[in-house]
Amino acid sequence: MSHEYRPTDDLSAAERSELIASMRPEDAERIPELHEVDVPEELKAEIEAAMGRYPELRSASIPALWAVQRRYGWCSPDGIRQAAAVMGLSPAYLQSVASFYDLFRLRPLGEHRVLVCTNISCWMNGADELLDALCDASGADHEAAHHGGANAPDGNVFVSGFECLGACDIAPMASIDDRYYGPLEIGEAEAIIAALRADSEPVPEKALHHRGLAGGSGAGDDPRVPELDRG
Amino acid sequence: MSEKQEITLVVDGVEVQATEGSMLVDAAKGGDVEIPVFCYEPKLGPPVGACRMCLVEVEGIPKLQTACSTPVRDGMVVYTRTDRVKEAQNAVVEFLLVNHPLDCPVCDKGGECPLQDIAMGWGAGRSRFTDPKRHFQKPVPLSPLVRIDRERCILCYRCVRFSQEVAEDEQLQLLERGANTFVGTFDDHPYIAPFHGNVIELCPVGALTSEAYRFRARPWDIEDAGSICTLCPSQCNVKHTVRDDVVERVLARDNPDVDDGWLCDKGRFGFQMLASSDRLTMPQVRSGGALDEASWEEALERAASGLAAAKGKVAAIVGGGATNEEGYLVQRIVRGSLNSADVDSRPVAGPSQALRAELGRPDRAASMADVDHAQAILLLDCDPLHEMPILDLRIRKAIRRNGAKLVVASARPTALDGGAEEVERFAPSEAASFSLESDAGRVLRDAGRVVVIFGERVVCDSNPDAAASSLLTLAKELTLEEDGSGLIEVPSGANGRGLAEVGCLPGIGPGLAAAAAGRSAEEIQEALESGELEGLILWEADPVRDFPDPKAWHSALGAANFVLSISMFGNASGGHADVVLPAQGYAEKEGTVTHPDGRVQRLRPGVPAPGEVQPGWQFLTELAARLGDETGIDSAPEALAALVSEVPFYGGLTHEEIGAHGVRWQGRDSADGAAAVGGPGEHGGTAGAGTQAQSRSTGTASADAPTPNGGLRLGTYRDLWAGEVTERNPALRFLAPTQTLELSPDDAERLGVEGGEAVDVRSNGFSVRANVAIRERMRPGAGFLIEGLDGDGANVLGGAGEVSVTKAGE
Amino acid sequence: MAETRILFRELDDPALRTIDGYRRRGGYRSLERAFRELEPDFLLGQLEESELRGRGGAGFSMGKKGSFLPRGDMDKYLCCNADESEPGTFKDRELMQKNPHLLIEGIAIAALAVDATRAFIFIRGEYAEQADIVEQAVDEAYEAGFLGENILGSGFGVELVVHRGAGAYICGEETALLDSLEGKRGNPRLKPPFPAIQGLYGGPTLINNVETLMNVPLVVEHGAGWFKSFGTEESTGTKVVSVSGCVQRPGNYEIELGMPSREIIFDLAGGPPEGRGVKAWFPGGSSAPVLTADDLDVPYSFEALAGAGSMLGSGAIIVADDAVSIPELALRTARFYHHESCGKCTPCREGTNWTVKMLERVVAGEATPMDLDIITSVQENIIGNCLCVLGDAMAMPVGSMVKKFRSEFEEQLRGVASSSSGSGANGAAGTAEGTATSSLAQAGAP
Ligand SMILES: Cc1cc2nc3c(=O)[nH]c(=O)nc-3n(C[C@H](O)[C@H](O)[C@H](O)COP(=O)(O)O)c2cc1C
Ligand code: SF4
Ligand code: FES
Repeated sequence: MSHEYRPTDDLSAAERSELIASMRPEDAERIPELHEVDVPEELKAEIEAAMGRYPELRSASIPALWAVQRRYGWCSPDGIRQAAAVMGLSPAYLQSVASFYDLFRLRPLGEHRVLVCTNISCWMNGADELLDALCDASGADHEAAHHGGANAPDGNVFVSGFECLGACDIAPMASIDDRYYGPLEIGEAEAIIAALRADSEPVPEKALHHRGLAGGSGAGDDPRVPELDRG
Repeated sequence: MSEKQEITLVVDGVEVQATEGSMLVDAAKGGDVEIPVFCYEPKLGPPVGACRMCLVEVEGIPKLQTACSTPVRDGMVVYTRTDRVKEAQNAVVEFLLVNHPLDCPVCDKGGECPLQDIAMGWGAGRSRFTDPKRHFQKPVPLSPLVRIDRERCILCYRCVRFSQEVAEDEQLQLLERGANTFVGTFDDHPYIAPFHGNVIELCPVGALTSEAYRFRARPWDIEDAGSICTLCPSQCNVKHTVRDDVVERVLARDNPDVDDGWLCDKGRFGFQMLASSDRLTMPQVRSGGALDEASWEEALERAASGLAAAKGKVAAIVGGGATNEEGYLVQRIVRGSLNSADVDSRPVAGPSQALRAELGRPDRAASMADVDHAQAILLLDCDPLHEMPILDLRIRKAIRRNGAKLVVASARPTALDGGAEEVERFAPSEAASFSLESDAGRVLRDAGRVVVIFGERVVCDSNPDAAASSLLTLAKELTLEEDGSGLIEVPSGANGRGLAEVGCLPGIGPGLAAAAAGRSAEEIQEALESGELEGLILWEADPVRDFPDPKAWHSALGAANFVLSISMFGNASGGHADVVLPAQGYAEKEGTVTHPDGRVQRLRPGVPAPGEVQPGWQFLTELAARLGDETGIDSAPEALAALVSEVPFYGGLTHEEIGAHGVRWQGRDSADGAAAVGGPGEHGGTAGAGTQAQSRSTGTASADAPTPNGGLRLGTYRDLWAGEVTERNPALRFLAPTQTLELSPDDAERLGVEGGEAVDVRSNGFSVRANVAIRERMRPGAGFLIEGLDGDGANVLGGAGEVSVTKAGE
Repeated sequence: MAETRILFRELDDPALRTIDGYRRRGGYRSLERAFRELEPDFLLGQLEESELRGRGGAGFSMGKKGSFLPRGDMDKYLCCNADESEPGTFKDRELMQKNPHLLIEGIAIAALAVDATRAFIFIRGEYAEQADIVEQAVDEAYEAGFLGENILGSGFGVELVVHRGAGAYICGEETALLDSLEGKRGNPRLKPPFPAIQGLYGGPTLINNVETLMNVPLVVEHGAGWFKSFGTEESTGTKVVSVSGCVQRPGNYEIELGMPSREIIFDLAGGPPEGRGVKAWFPGGSSAPVLTADDLDVPYSFEALAGAGSMLGSGAIIVADDAVSIPELALRTARFYHHESCGKCTPCREGTNWTVKMLERVVAGEATPMDLDIITSVQENIIGNCLCVLGDAMAMPVGSMVKKFRSEFEEQLRGVASSSSGSGANGAAGTAEGTATSSLAQAGAP
């Protein structure tokens, strides 16, 4: 966040008045008007289209934040102000909404995102170690990656532990650039990061969409289940 | 609105009567049972049930229920003290203290802290939590007026609900989630919005505290004194926190019929001027060239003789902060002993007596509560945020909670445009062009209960009678005389309505009765300059600063033979005075004022006035006596009785009856007295006047299109923060606006100026320097400046109609 | 025993995902019949009679919930809950990915039944791939006239919008879902009013899980009687069960309700790896109190699992084998709820926070026996006192673990390195035993 304040009790009377005097009415972040922000046409169109999909415009907050994040890579303050101006909401409101949700990022993010599920099923199948291996491979900070995510030093890859991603059948797994892959092995971490740095798909053979039903593709033999009617 | 039934429930074995559907917490109070709450605050809207402090047992429901959100039913059986309830209460208190620093000895809230009280009364008195608590930088300024200590916050949601759902400024929000949640703003910007001080009072812990009140007093050495804030027409009910005879703080004193328990920041923080060392504390008389302090005896004698010498040629201008008693006595002196006719309390002339009486008819008056339940509200050339701030919140409430449809018809964009169903923007001073035939009009015609709120400027205009007639036509077409509908005029003065009713308008005497024709403020100025008038009384009025054309007022005052000025502080107009008497501040006065909806309210002194300042009614009585009028008034109640005897519709009103919450005179039997007031019972010629107004507006509809030489139609407005209160209160000073020219984006482009750029606004030899502010909702061809900024000619330009705009210095 | 594949019929056929492939298999016939021939009341009646219970967690009768919506011409809404964030649950994901049109068909019919003209699929933001698929299917359905205005000339229209969430488990809770859909922070609301009366934008709203809605066309096609021929008295139909954790063949299995749990875990999912035994298992997602090896024969039905002191919940079985440390499992579980608590109500916000701090000390060997009592008491103080049941969803499993495995917790207090609690890792990724513990012990509170 942009302003840094020192606790006022630690300040001298003069410093206090100076600090307080530094807060000007025009610094309050009200609902910006469109001419005050420089919103790209496409972003504006995208947000307006979202506003049109719902009976109440506030419903478009999350789609608008997605649009901002797609455009800028994160929910940047400027992006939020632009969305706020288009929607006629306060930037504070949108920031409050954004900060509630794990997928919205209020800090700049690596171009490629690797989210490793570390919830129960994946953890029992070695997810912590997988995350550590991905940190090693990318250079991202382990501690930070386990607690909210970390960018690799080159800024290219973002690695983060994550709550259950709904793919415990392929544990341990990761969501890489919005696609699911698993079960992953520690030995694959280097290759995954390398592929991402080369902007190619990592471990394509482990993509979730290749996976059939766990019980095979048979029809089952319950006589009560009718044949599909193809007539 | 269906009437709710009275029902009986049993709380802890005691039968309690309550209104069906009221919340259990409130109903239980009827049985003297207190259920602890934190998040529950009905002023904020429906309960949220977040803090879980109010859990109780309801027979027949397996889970404990939150009393704050459980509507009562007949026969309900409730337990609030069983072991199960106690365990839950202990648990919630223990959870709340998990992250609370328990630093009560150094906390400003100590001694008046709900958390402290509830933890003592309902907690187990121990915490088993031994792990580290969460840490924040603390305390940090949230704004220049409010500090936030996030470690103390119990995440009760009150402050953010206020910002989101009451003030709707949406600046204060919760950020992050779960146990990491904290209260904050966008990117740590300051929270500066006109009502933000309310969060201090809402916070049930010491997380949000007042910068001004910081360490000023402890609860055990203060007293609370209830009164009325008269800094604007909202007339909010307040409590003054007094320590050692000094007001240290202003708190809301909930009155749902007036303020809903909110205050604007001007009212909340505007008390420092009361203790200002700049106050006038002694009378002053002019000797030689200068004003010297004098005794009351000497000053009153000089005043009496000066005025008597001008007898028959004395005028008075009464400022909006005067009480009814003060206004009444001033006009009595002028019209009585001084045998003169010229009394005014408004900067611009208004409609004639007959029309004014018609506008004030009790069946056409809406109350504040009517605003809550209106199906449609018309806001006619008025921005409550600047003119009557608390009304802004009430309109928001009506829209948000009761689905009222708002129509805004104004020259300048209002703060309420965003919530409006229809917005109509006309050229400055063209309010009369509003017609029910428009889309906006349709919204009003389709609604049952309609409240029309109009700014004083609508009827105090170039053709006041025509404007008033149009309004009356509108009132008739919308059947505003029906229950729940009506008119509300927002006056420019805090007690504008009261002063009109006690006789402080030209040609209109006490009780809105016809009086000898008199001059308006503008005409008074002219008559002083020409010598037709010789003496002037200025009661808390500073026309040089506040009225159109300061220069003309300077010369008018200079030309007067005798000027008596009564004011709290020395001012520009007072510089011309021969006698200056010190006035009481609003927290020092005893008297009555009348709310724009007709509620007569009572001011009670919370602190003594400084130095030798005397109550206004007292020295006015003495002045009257010296001029030969023995009023027999010896106390504030007697002053009220004297005025009541002349205002039929206040008939019999006493301090006792007014009480703590005031009385709307329209609701009393004596309201009939208003119908009897001189004017024609049914207003004749309305239709004709209406059409006249209509045609006038069609004639000027295109007048605000940019003129060939690029000029603009100029309007002025009174900004909430422009004026003496902001300047005289150190805490508020940072809000003082600088002159700003508001323009539409089109005009800015046409004129080649950008937001923030300095420009000169000119008309017939007058020029004002202003910074440009671009406003999307401004009507092209129109521009607005702020009036009442010290030493600035904007007021004059306001009347100019058309101005030219050039980059500064060009 | 084998699966009973109704929802899973030909699920792996890639053609099913397209509207043509779906229609070739008889898809949208129920919709055509419903919109052309059937009365809403009849549809609701069939749903009620089928006793189809919600598949999202609470197991409430779908037909009955539908009948709670008031009649009248106010705007009504239908929300499909595709937030699927309950740990261990991944059935809706596979269903939506492979058969999106069945969901759309179910939504349109259910909307007709309750007179809801606007419908939303609230899909968790992480399911971007599935959301793309569903969105494409919605476009196809609009094109074919199965969505939009005046469907098949019936005079009734349904607008369907796919709404992507942004990562918050609490948005699966139905009222938080509504707030989130309204563009707010996903905080649960007070109930009552229930969504059926006052839900989205204040209008009556039916909220159902993906799987629940996918059963609707089947009930319409084959009748309530046929549907009830599957399952038990109180749990009709089939259930897609997500099985994961320490099992050899993790995945989704469609079973007839009432199948013994042992058969699901062992016969279908292959049981724990060679040489390991079941130590604890969550029968219905991580919010369900854990059961032990002694409970493996409990039939997999709403009533039987409730009778065993747990619940069917979201239909997700998570198996922990004897190599898993229960205190660490408890910590993992608690951390999830701590991270996901919305923060609105006190007991959940502070209780999850406090529980995590205590369990961290337990796992690190820095706690005392009194801490175990406090943990138990804190769970009791959470249960029943919160605004929604997220708090309970932590307190119940954590409480059950401390209760059922108290001795293991006590061992943990005496020192970290006891043999049975060496690692939470099952080793499927080739992890060395013991590393999980140390990394956990280092992890501070988020
Ligand atoms: C914390 C919490 C999370 C939930 N998550 C989901 C979910 O992801 N998907 C779901 O269908 N229901 C979820 N539910 C249950 C819903 O509140 C609701 O009961 C369900 O969507 C109703 O649909 P059904 O009757 O078809 O099951 C959750 C409930 C709670 C309390
Ligand atoms: S700052 Fe005060 S009012 Fe605001 S959430 Fe915290 S405790 Fe409540
Ligand atoms: S006062 Fe009832 S839940 Fe907060």
